[in-house]
Amino acid sequence: MTSALLEVEDLSIEFATEAGPLRAVEQVSFRLEAGRTLGLVGESGCGKSVTSLALMGLLPGNGRIVTGRILFEGTDLATLDQAALRRLRGRRLSMIFQEPMTALNPVYRAGDQIVEVLRRHEGLSRRAALDRAIEMLARVGIAAPEQRMVDFPHQMSGGMRQRIMIAMALVCRPRLLIADEPTTALDVTTQAQVLAEISQLAAELDTAVLLITHDLGVVAETCDEVMVMYAGQVVEQAPVGALFAQPRHRYTEGLLASIPRIRKQPLERLPVIPGTVPELSAMPTGCRFAARCPQAQADCRARTPELRMLGRSRSACFHPAGEE
Amino acid sequence: MSALPTDLIGLEPAIGRSPVRRAAGRLLADRWAMLGLAIVLLFFVIALGVWAGLWGGNWMASAGQRWEGPSTRHWLGTTILGQDILERVLFSTRTAFEIGLIVALASSMLGALFGALSGYFAGTLIDSAVLWLTGVLDAIPFYLFVAALAFALKGNPWAMHIAMVATFWTTTARLVRGEVIKLKELEFVEAARAIGLHPLTIIHRHILPNTFHILLVQATIVFVAAIKSEVILSFLGLGVQDGVSWGLMIAESTTEVTAGHYMNFVAASSFLFVLVMGFNLFADGLQDALDPKRSGR
Repeated sequence: MTSALLEVEDLSIEFATEAGPLRAVEQVSFRLEAGRTLGLVGESGCGKSVTSLALMGLLPGNGRIVTGRILFEGTDLATLDQAALRRLRGRRLSMIFQEPMTALNPVYRAGDQIVEVLRRHEGLSRRAALDRAIEMLARVGIAAPEQRMVDFPHQMSGGMRQRIMIAMALVCRPRLLIADEPTTALDVTTQAQVLAEISQLAAELDTAVLLITHDLGVVAETCDEVMVMYAGQVVEQAPVGALFAQPRHRYTEGLLASIPRIRKQPLERLPVIPGTVPELSAMPTGCRFAARCPQAQADCRARTPELRMLGRSRSACFHPAGEE
Repeated sequence: MSALPTDLIGLEPAIGRSPVRRAAGRLLADRWAMLGLAIVLLFFVIALGVWAGLWGGNWMASAGQRWEGPSTRHWLGTTILGQDILERVLFSTRTAFEIGLIVALASSMLGALFGALSGYFAGTLIDSAVLWLTGVLDAIPFYLFVAALAFALKGNPWAMHIAMVATFWTTTARLVRGEVIKLKELEFVEAARAIGLHPLTIIHRHILPNTFHILLVQATIVFVAAIKSEVILSFLGLGVQDGVSWGLMIAESTTEVTAGHYMNFVAASSFLFVLVMGFNLFADGLQDALDPKRSGR
């Protein structure tokens, strides 16, 4: 097995709260090869954003990595101090955020914000950094980049700002880009364009992408592999084709069933997964999805399922779909 | 505040208008604010003239008889010692500006520094220390504090300035802290962390410039408060030690007014009133112009 660009092993993250420590992420493991795109899917609060912040070393003050390793290019990010992480962030791994409206500093021109990254990490002169920034804006599909360089964020649309963010994130050619719901706040037509640009640029720069989303349509379009998280755990990981063709975990199955689409027989109502995600402070023993799972049996509530290979998927389910 | 928008060399915006220019546009359209600004500028010119030695230099000399009425030689009459009241009231303008500028600048800088640190590191020891310090300073009655300082510094002319800065910066710090706590949750600060900037760089380059509107408005408020406090402190004998000020003039006039000599009192209090009024008009307009929630012009 070749060593992957990013190898997360057994990562658990806890938050210190007044009610005691809450475990937001439980024993998450995955690999991401250089240049590949991994989709991280799950509903709000399932730990996908926390996982990505941990990779960046940007966990909020009350959060900490309890166990596990984050091997990035052979270095364990979990053991690095802040100064070492700062040297990596923006250069070897970078991140784009969900909300383009507030992701740019309102008092600086767009160009200045890209130039800042270059000057921080590559020590370029202002002139050289300006040229690189203009070139980068052109590459993220911005027309008249010289003009946009001197614009302020309030003069731009959401899609334009998100492109500036992408330019900032990719201008130093990082090996890994973490995109935390990069298109959720954009309208659908812009969404498709921005996604296409992220994919294309990542391919050109040979950058691996960890794409966090709750939109399975986005995953289908852009990812090589998908990882589904539920209540802080990975419940299924599979190549995109395999996952959509045959979901294994009952949660994934439920997610796919609840996507609105044109069906041969119109439905009375869209299937939903009944119930809600268990509270972090009151996690059930056994499978965390058991309470909402139509196939749950006694053993699901007694023991915690481990991830195991099933066809081309890894899933953590005692009674996986497609085995009946 | 060196970190305001810098222009990119050779790339001039065609439609690009910076937040500062938009605010300036709104301010220019506000008549009352412009009237206020005109008044403040007029007083500033008076103060500059005193510094340049054009007028007000003769404030100490006995140039006439005691308690002369207004005349062509002494436009506003004379004091009990025969000093020209106009000269004294003009010189006092300089005193007022000196105090206002020094106190406003110093307390804005202190407030920005401590407010930003305690806001960014909210919940940590740094924050607790700053909050404790502001709490303690706010708990001491202002005049008691000045009297104690004046006594401790044994008649040092800076005792009043130090006391004012020590009490006025806390409000600025509190406002800045609140704004910083709000700002640091925004994604551009998260993005600044994600590109690997040091926390102090983030505070300096990304957070403080966004609190500039608060600092500016707060500085004008402190400026007025300092001038008014100077008058009260000088009246109580705790204020200006060398030179003359509106407060000292009003203090002198207390016995004169009962004897029917109003000029000292009228001159000092009208100058004070008009300047404070003008500054308040300007500060009000500035606050509106800088309010980010007001869109358009």
